[in-house]
Amino acid sequence: MRRHRLLDILSTVTVISLGLVTVIGLLSDRDSTAGEMAGFLIQLVALISALAVLVGIVNLLAVHTGRIRHTEYGWPYSLIVLLAAVAVVVLRIIDRAEGWSGDLEGETVSLRVFEAVQVSLESALMGLLVFFLVYAAYRLMRRDVTVWNVLFLAAIVVVLVGWIPLENMDALGDVRDWLVRVPVSAGARGILIGVGLGTVTVGVRVLLGQDRSYRG
Amino acid sequence: MIENNELTLVLILVALAATLAGRLLAKRWRLHWRSIPAYVVLPESAADAVESDNRIHFSMGSSAIGQASTVSALVTAELVYRLSQRLVVSRQTPLITVSDPVTLTLAQDTLRRAYEYRCRIERYHSRAAAWYPQGARSLVFAAGVSSLAADADVSRSVLLGRFGYELALLGESALRHGQVLIAHSDRIEGQAVAFAQAQQVLIGEELYVGPAYMNGRLIEQGSVIALDLLRWLVIVGVLITALQAL
Repeated sequence: MRRHRLLDILSTVTVISLGLVTVIGLLSDRDSTAGEMAGFLIQLVALISALAVLVGIVNLLAVHTGRIRHTEYGWPYSLIVLLAAVAVVVLRIIDRAEGWSGDLEGETVSLRVFEAVQVSLESALMGLLVFFLVYAAYRLMRRDVTVWNVLFLAAIVVVLVGWIPLENMDALGDVRDWLVRVPVSAGARGILIGVGLGTVTVGVRVLLGQDRSYRG
Repeated sequence: MIENNELTLVLILVALAATLAGRLLAKRWRLHWRSIPAYVVLPESAADAVESDNRIHFSMGSSAIGQASTVSALVTAELVYRLSQRLVVSRQTPLITVSDPVTLTLAQDTLRRAYEYRCRIERYHSRAAAWYPQGARSLVFAAGVSSLAADADVSRSVLLGRFGYELALLGESALRHGQVLIAHSDRIEGQAVAFAQAQQVLIGEELYVGPAYMNGRLIEQGSVIALDLLRWLVIVGVLITALQAL
């Protein structure tokens, strides 16, 4: 209990002091001591983030090894994940060692595999998103017909139909442009301003050492 | 160097003063907040999950400590902690997914603290928080998380933090597997998808007031007052600027 209290105090003091130094540094000249200090801290965060990828990879392997060991539902997919992870690492090592011969000599096979598998899979999923969204709009109306839902659906229909390159559809195209330029843009800005203000108020709580989410 | 330094400093100082003043107000009077349906449903969902021995899946998306979304990661972690305090009495461990490795440690720590709070630390295992790489369009993350949540047989998916279009994939998978979906995103495209798909949606800054709505401490209630004050200041500022432009 005492150890936890000490950790609490230590983490709070660290957050308050480093937070204040960063804020003061960002508000000062970049060449000033405070500015340089803030720049150093930001670089330190970037370095930690890069190193933390290793933690992520270890977690990924641990989660899927655990699923295989306990033969949890869907464990064969976890096996595929592990085999794919090992294969990528092996390919990368061979690439770095320039170990390919024949037609593959000088090639970066890991990059080619990445483009052939991941990029095409992501593109396919991206294509599916349109259908998910249209179905979601249909489901929205089935769930509850409110003024806002009708407005949302009407905007989607106008924007989608407005993109159809047919003759005599200029008027609808103009409506689409107006919708995107005025109400959609205003709504988006409103939401983003709200998010910004929310960030400031929580940030102040963090600087005061009153946010408990990071404590040990 | 930040542009408009004076404005930034004023904003921070106003927020600080309003938060402290709001804390005093909350201490003196009992404040009544407007109802946000998602914050009514979330504790009920937690209670329901415990009673029916079901699992809840939380996702922080690409909210990342050390980046612009640090605050959304912290707030989401706090909300997950408060709900997990109720959930960890059950046999089913909550599942948390993230796409930022630094946030992974925050997620694991959040769960550990919840188990410690209930004196059940022996039931905690770090594998309950899972990391999936983000990929170019976050679709790798969405595909991995949907599959994990479906296999873990979760009954509710609570997606809070930073999501883009990939939220559609996560949401579709959740609804297809009969999960209740509660969603939020601090990005516009994710927010639009959340509005269309989720049974309960949090919009914009509603995420940041979450801790005040769930057994909020005085300082968190003060934050809500500060947020409202800042919102009114922005509204007045926009109106004055618009009138000047006429």
